[in-house]
Amino acid sequence: MEKQKMMYDSGNELAAYAAKQINYHVMGYYPITPSTQIAENLDVMRAEGLHDIQLIAAEGEHSAAGICYGATAGGGRVFNATSANGLLYALEQFPVQSGTRMPMVMNVACRTVSGPLCIKGDHSDIMYMLNTGWIILFADEPQMVYDMNLLGLKLAEAVSLPVVVAFDGFFTSHQKRKCMVFEDDEVVKKYIGPKLSSDNPNTSAFAKELSTGKNCFYSVLDLEHPVTIGSYMNEPDVINNKYQLHLAMEEARKKLPALFSEYETLSGRTLDFVSGYRHEDADILLFVLGSSYHTAMEAVDILRGGNIRAGVITVYVLRPFPAEELRKLCASAKVIVALDRQDSYGAGGGNMSLELKAALVSCPVKVLTRIYGLGGKDFYVEDAVALFREGLMESAAAFDYYGVTPGEGTEEEKQPQYFKPLTEAETKPGITTCIFDEEQGKMTVKGGLLKDATAMPKRIAPGHGACPGCGIPVNLNLLLKGIEGNVIMLFQTGCGMVVTTGYPKTAFKIPYLHNLFQNGAATLSGVVEVFHQKQKRGEYPEGEITFIMVSGDGGLDIGMGSALGTALRNHRLIIFEYDNGGYMNTGYQLSYSTPMGAKSSTSHVGKTQYGKTFFHKDSPELMAATHIPYVATVAESNPADFIRKAAKAAAYAKDFGTAYVKALSACPLNWNDKPNLERSVISGAVDCCYFPLYEIERGITSLTYDPEEKKKKIPVTEWFSMMGRTKHLTKDVYRPITEEIQAEIDRRFARLKARASHPLL
Amino acid sequence: MDKNILPVTNENGYFEIRLESIGGLGANLCGKMLGELGALSLSLNSLSFSSYGSEKRGSPVKAYIRWCAQEKPLRINSPVTHPHILALFHEGLIGTYPVLDGVSSETKIILNTPFTADAAAEKYGISIGELYCLDALSIAMECRSRVNMVMLGAIAKASGFIPPETVEQLCRDTVGKKYPALIEANLNGVREGYARAQKASAEQNLAPLPTGKHEKFVWGYKNAPIGGVNPRAGSTVSNDLSPSREGYIPLFIQDRCINCGLCDSACPDMVFQFGPGIYKGKECMVNKGLDYYHCKGCLRCVEVCPTDALEKALEKDYPEKPWFVPDKDLLPDSISYQEVGANSWITSDSYMDEKRVDGGVV
Repeated sequence: MEKQKMMYDSGNELAAYAAKQINYHVMGYYPITPSTQIAENLDVMRAEGLHDIQLIAAEGEHSAAGICYGATAGGGRVFNATSANGLLYALEQFPVQSGTRMPMVMNVACRTVSGPLCIKGDHSDIMYMLNTGWIILFADEPQMVYDMNLLGLKLAEAVSLPVVVAFDGFFTSHQKRKCMVFEDDEVVKKYIGPKLSSDNPNTSAFAKELSTGKNCFYSVLDLEHPVTIGSYMNEPDVINNKYQLHLAMEEARKKLPALFSEYETLSGRTLDFVSGYRHEDADILLFVLGSSYHTAMEAVDILRGGNIRAGVITVYVLRPFPAEELRKLCASAKVIVALDRQDSYGAGGGNMSLELKAALVSCPVKVLTRIYGLGGKDFYVEDAVALFREGLMESAAAFDYYGVTPGEGTEEEKQPQYFKPLTEAETKPGITTCIFDEEQGKMTVKGGLLKDATAMPKRIAPGHGACPGCGIPVNLNLLLKGIEGNVIMLFQTGCGMVVTTGYPKTAFKIPYLHNLFQNGAATLSGVVEVFHQKQKRGEYPEGEITFIMVSGDGGLDIGMGSALGTALRNHRLIIFEYDNGGYMNTGYQLSYSTPMGAKSSTSHVGKTQYGKTFFHKDSPELMAATHIPYVATVAESNPADFIRKAAKAAAYAKDFGTAYVKALSACPLNWNDKPNLERSVISGAVDCCYFPLYEIERGITSLTYDPEEKKKKIPVTEWFSMMGRTKHLTKDVYRPITEEIQAEIDRRFARLKARASHPLL
Repeated sequence: MDKNILPVTNENGYFEIRLESIGGLGANLCGKMLGELGALSLSLNSLSFSSYGSEKRGSPVKAYIRWCAQEKPLRINSPVTHPHILALFHEGLIGTYPVLDGVSSETKIILNTPFTADAAAEKYGISIGELYCLDALSIAMECRSRVNMVMLGAIAKASGFIPPETVEQLCRDTVGKKYPALIEANLNGVREGYARAQKASAEQNLAPLPTGKHEKFVWGYKNAPIGGVNPRAGSTVSNDLSPSREGYIPLFIQDRCINCGLCDSACPDMVFQFGPGIYKGKECMVNKGLDYYHCKGCLRCVEVCPTDALEKALEKDYPEKPWFVPDKDLLPDSISYQEVGANSWITSDSYMDEKRVDGGVV
């Protein structure tokens, strides 16, 4: 047995630690709760120079999977981590990875698939993986996450298939426990061995392997043996390719016992396809996946104390599914209650109980299904006991949900509405008026004074959960002060959405729709077009509505494609971006709009890293390239300008097409500054020209505030010194970085001014 | 260390701790440290985790620690419902949230409050278990430490079996390694917490404990609109924000107000109630007052007010707030909010001195 040391860590931390010990070439990832900590922990270690893994924060899970695929096609060792809708967003890539036989390891911290949006843990995501051709290992505690991450890579490379290491989101990903890790990284490296990639001059054995058709790692980087990866293939060949994949899966089944015992020799810990507790003589069994297995053991002991022969079984390998091993565990059982933490709606069970039933089809045992713990609903010992008792009843239904509640209270007790719906007249106090000047080809806007703008009724109610001093509601209020009349809003996932719509409450007094953040703009396009269609057909009253899609800068990373598509189709709506420079809702991971050099939980500052390594995204320019009629940047530090631009955006959205408005939005929590001072911090960003205020109206750029002209220009370091996230950059040692940033900001601003100087630019 | 130092365990053989707090007070780290303490210093088998949610400051958070004998497998990962130790980091939670649930005569309750233990026991009707009180906030500010460190010391004291030196050592090993400059202040916080946690002398009886508010109407599968649709427009207005208030309020000095609307443009919480009125003989929108129910005390408005018509004040100094105008658009005559003052620490300078790492706070 190799020497090990004790750690007190969570599943996510251990997945990261295993990856560090393996020292993968590349991790392509996109942050999503609850798997994000894996990348965060790797970034902490990278900042201290503890590994060389190239961590690539993609703009979405689909791209992350693409990065991983490319890196494996280049013969690299590759790692990923994701959850829930992130997994589903990348889903189409997984059969590509397995069908072209590129081994890698991906961790899945299991979480409920939205919608409604839920961040907690169940197994609705992982079951989508069952048909992708990936090997799926499922760990039931943090220790096993570590072990499976090591064994998983070895297995992946042994059969040329990608491997998922799955575990319960939060219950396993976040709970800290005692666990053992190999003290010396070299032990891990020796255990895994070198990857025999064809492009590696040290592995010339490849040529021989190639001719024998054994597991060899083709590489698109191999110039000596040029190969085409990703053929165009129809019948009669695809069925053969899939049969090869099937054979590889069966090969994995055959190889696993030896891999388990090799790992046991090394670590002293047993891994297996399945496990059972007091099942040998059990009359009744629970079948359960993941962390609930342990909870159920407590229930077994309780029932055994009452002379009920109870037991519990679980499965650690979902693909290849160990039907034979499970059958053995069930030999003595008369009743099995299969617990599914997801439902295959309409199938009479979740996927695990369906597969168990298939495995036991010839056995004389009654299998009941109970769907439980959806959306992270806790599973207590009492629940496990209750489920055993239910299984013991003759009359127990074959299928049911456990733990649902019908609701309480009468119609009379139902709370009344808190607000009257806003009428169109009420929301037209006449704060701004816009008239299109045909001659100039421009929208002229009047009004917008702050003192008058207080007359605009609030479309969003107080009592929302935003942090004290949060910029998001401030910016929304300013935007809405400038928009007269009916408004319908769509929010993409993000802080703004999470703090306003936590069920059973909502802050919206006006109609509101949410969609996941790779798709908000497209979704609102659909709303807008059905509105126009219905009006045209006389199915909706005459009148005007301003449609606004609200997104954070994170939503416009992953959702850029959808936003650009919407803009190119020029739907009559506003895209409003609140840019707080990070994925704040999930604990501040870097976004493409995070300032260069800023620290975030995926761009730490350490011995070998100074924060984010690339420049902030110029999203107004991206949107401007679609030639939509109106693009503007706004800041709360220039509130009247903000309101007037909002009014113009609404006017353009009504008659011309898509308008895009971007506000820099303060985040006291993650900018690490004082909530009360946020307006001056925003002002600093404007004055240092990091966030210039301008508009592009039908292709013509105008600067609406010039700090140079007003003699207010400050160096970017002065703005950086206002925020904890960038304060470190004011140190001398980072001067080369800040000079680079200053030069880029100045270059962008000079270019902007030049464009503003001539209508053709 | 002796093999099993746990004085008492539940029917499944575990000793359980629950911390109740609001985001920003460091209960998460405190829970993690207690977990490590069990695993690394007390030779126990140990597990720790926090309630999971979005990363907002001011929202209620819980941390759970479960200990058992070293050789016993830790098989339960659900939240702690019947704690042996219950630490309440913020007294404003009592009565609003069910933070006292599951308390029994075996529970040691540690409460952060400026009241004496006996006074707090009476004020909050805490009549079961052993109550320990300390003003963790003042102690933290005094030591330039943090509430969580002070509470950690107090938890060790109340436990009766956690040796203070093990806590100090852990502090050195974790906080000290990352932030050597802060270690002395934090050690001081732990020591003071240990020294100053004071036990209530009140006799135990079994009167019912105050429970959290319970909504009469609860959505379920029979009565909830399908698809998660929410028909209660603007219903966050009934949210009780008092526990997450930051202790400061903007005090409105009406005769200085020029009705410029800057405050309304800077407020994230829709606090300012403007309506038609007369100012300097002219009809215009005037500031009628503030909806303090929804003010979180960020003081953005105080900063932007050009005439000092809004001033920073401590909420506790103004039990009756002048110019208090509930949301003017609200239909119901009144919504019963919990009228609890908050503490005045989070926005204070000591908070801003803290180091933040990993997207969280240390």
